[in-house]
Parts: sequence; structure tokens; C-alpha cells
Amino acid sequence: MNDTRTLAGDEVVEQVSALVEGVFERLKPLLAAAESVLAETPSAAALHRIRPQVTEALGGLIIGAGFVSAPRVLADSEFGFEWWTAGSPPAQLFISLDPGSENFLDYTRQSWFTVPRDTGRRHINGPYVDYLCTDEYTLTFTIPVSRGGSFAGVVGADVYVREFERAVRPRLRALGRGAALLNAQGRVIVSNSVRQPTGSLVREVDVPAWWSAGAEPGPVLRRCGDSPIVLVSEKQG
Amino acid sequence: MRQGMSHSARSAMFAPLGQVGRAEAVAARLVDAITLGFLADEEQLPSEADLAAQFGVSTVTVREALVALRQQGLVETRRGRSGGSFVRAPADPPSDAWRARLQEVSLSDLRDVGDHYLAIAGAAAKLAAERSSPEDIARLRLATDDLRTAHGIDFTRAERQFHLEVAAAAQSPRLTHEEVHLQSELGGLLWLPLEPGAHSCAEHAAITAAIDAADGDLARKLTEEHLLGALDRLADVHLGLLAP
Repeated sequence: MNDTRTLAGDEVVEQVSALVEGVFERLKPLLAAAESVLAETPSAAALHRIRPQVTEALGGLIIGAGFVSAPRVLADSEFGFEWWTAGSPPAQLFISLDPGSENFLDYTRQSWFTVPRDTGRRHINGPYVDYLCTDEYTLTFTIPVSRGGSFAGVVGADVYVREFERAVRPRLRALGRGAALLNAQGRVIVSNSVRQPTGSLVREVDVPAWWSAGAEPGPVLRRCGDSPIVLVSEKQG
Repeated sequence: MRQGMSHSARSAMFAPLGQVGRAEAVAARLVDAITLGFLADEEQLPSEADLAAQFGVSTVTVREALVALRQQGLVETRRGRSGGSFVRAPADPPSDAWRARLQEVSLSDLRDVGDHYLAIAGAAAKLAAERSSPEDIARLRLATDDLRTAHGIDFTRAERQFHLEVAAAAQSPRLTHEEVHLQSELGGLLWLPLEPGAHSCAEHAAITAAIDAADGDLARKLTEEHLLGALDRLADVHLGLLAP
């Protein structure tokens, strides 16, 4: 194995890991605010109290952030959605929360909601077409929110895939054409090759199987820190 | 942005119209938006000047269109300081409204927009077959199940939701935008509940199975047939409406 390539790989892994932890770190004050509002006044009318923490989380790579409630957690509304997008000033995003409306999209089917609900753990969803909020190719970072020990919704942050790509590209480039960052399903987030573009599934290696088997680092696949993001790099012949 | 409409749907709704000076086209677009619930009951419409700018037509044209909507009872104009045009949504989308809309549409326009929709939805299905993860397939199955017993507005919603999910599974923001745009342009016309949901449900299940099997050509072909079937039914109803 070529030493410079190993070092370059280390750098990518460290950068992605730091980037992911940075996003989750910015959600922590929002998580605390959401849990305290839900503990005191679980109502849609009270959700505005978390706005300072939402707008505080925006910036850098984070272009959208907020809280999305689980059904029937709020006293005055079946669904709850407090979400803001970056800008000066930040703008609030409204979606239809009325199941009878033509426009209603059931967010409780979205993975950014279901995975934290079912696992109790933080999650990165995507890359995916976020037709609910951004209308863009997006990564959504979510953390489960609890109330009285049970799941009450998620706090989350949106990052555009193109911005994530911009951030990691310089270091990824050093690894040459066979290098890419994948999610746990083996979907490409960023790659150095047009033959394996963003959004495509890598089929040469069984990433989901490797993941379920404990994600042991090898010459081809390496997990980026504690994140569900995998660095794949071809062995140089 | 107000509640009741995703911003993509809303911007598609107010996208500039191709032919300038078509009061009928503006009226038709607004009728679709109201009868399909894109614009909520009691919602205030933008000013005539704003609507004109958004549609890319003159204020005279917008005024003409609003007169037509008032006659159909879909818009109410209030005078005074808090005045303006307000939506009066029908409790149930009245069959008369879509009948009128379908009567107006020309088969050549229907064919043209149908071709466009086929190109987008067919390509989306093919790419979805290449790029769907098990998670995507699970969502497509859920969207398919929605149609099993759906009727009325639920049928329309479930049809649109399924095709939106396919475009998203294609991992393509552009095809998804186009899908949303065409859905709002064809209004609820294409997915009028003209048949039992079970029939569509079977077609969606077959498309989902082809996507799951990573068979892009089949997924595209089945999607095109599914859409052509819907367009055929529309044409039949259209001709039926014109019959003396």
C-alpha cells in the first residue's frame, strides 16, 4: 500500500468525521430547547420558543434547521413543524400539516424521521431529493427528541450535497479516480469519477453487508469516525 | 410562503404562461389550484398586479380571469381596507368544475403535455430502477398501498405522491421539479378519479416491482403505459362531454 495514499485517506476520514460532528454539535442547544419546551408546554403554539436556537444553528454548511414533532405529541395539533432556512433574515418554512389537503406529504414516512424513531439514535439521511423542504439534493442530519422517556420527534439540519462536495473535494482529489464517500446503503455522496456519480449505488462492493458485519476497516472500505459515511478507495494497481 | 402548498407546487402554479393574453389559461390554472386544494379556502390571492407579473400577462387579462372565477363561485372579492380576492374552496371538488376544465382542454394540448409528462416520468422510472436502495423501494410500496382503497381526492393525491416518489428515487432534483411542475400544470386532470383505485394500484405495484428488479427498460415501459391509459381515459371523457 502506498503511504501517501494512506495519509491522504486518513485526512479525508478525519475531515468528514469532524464535519459530521460539527453539524451534530450545532444541533445540541436546539435539542435541549426542544426537550424543555415539550416538557413544559407541548403545543404547536409554544414551538416559537425554540426559534433562537434554530436560527443559531443555521450557517456554515447548515442551510436549514428545526424541529419536527412525532404525531399526537402536541396538545393542539396532530403534527408539528418548526423549520427555518438560512438567509438574511432566515425564513420560516411551512408545509401542509392537514392530512385532508391535496398537498399533504406524510413526513412520518421519511427516513430522517423513521430511523431516529426506530433506533433511538442520531442519523444522517441521504443523499436524497428533499421534495418536502429544500427541493434539492440534500443530506439531513437528525437527532431523536424525547419527552417523558418516549420519542417525541426530531431536531435536524439540512446540508446541500453540492456544498458538502465542495468542502471535501480538495482532500478527496488526492486519492484519485477510484475514491468516493458513500452512505451506509452504498450510495455515492461525492466521488472522483463520472462513472460512479453522486446518487448512484456502488455495486462492486456490498456496503450494506460490510456495514452489518461491523464495518471493519480494510484496504477498500473505511468508516469516517463515528459517522455512517464510508470512504471507498480502489487499490492502486 | 403560506401553509397549504409546498413552495415548489406554488411556484409551478404561478409559473409564467406560454401564451400571453390568455384569460382562459389563467382562469384554468386558478380553477385547478382551487379545486385541488392548492389554494386554501379563505386564502387571499395576490394582487392583480402581482398575479399578472407571475403569470406574465397583463392586469386586464388577470381581471378577466377573476371575473370568470367569480362566476363559478370560486373567488369572492371584498371591498374596503382589508379587501381583495379571496378563495372560496368547494367542500368537495365539484365534478362540474373539472368537467368544465376538461371540456375546455383541446386534445392536441393534452397530447402535447402528455408527451412531456411521459418523457419525464418514463426517464425518472428508468433511473429509479438503476438507483433505488431498499429504503426507496419500501417508500414506493407504501405509496402504492395508498391507492388500494383510495377514491376522490385521496386517489388524486396518492397517484401524484407515487410519481413524486419515483422521481425522488431517481435521485434527480431536476426530474422531481419537472414532475411537480407538470402535476400542477395538468392540474388534477390527469389523475381524476375516473376509475377504482385498485386498477391503478396494480399498475403502481408492477412499476415498483420493475424498479425493485433494477429493470429500467421495463419500469419505463410500464410507466408510459400507465400514463397513456390515464390520458386515454381523459380523452374519452373529454369526447363524451362534447357529445351532443
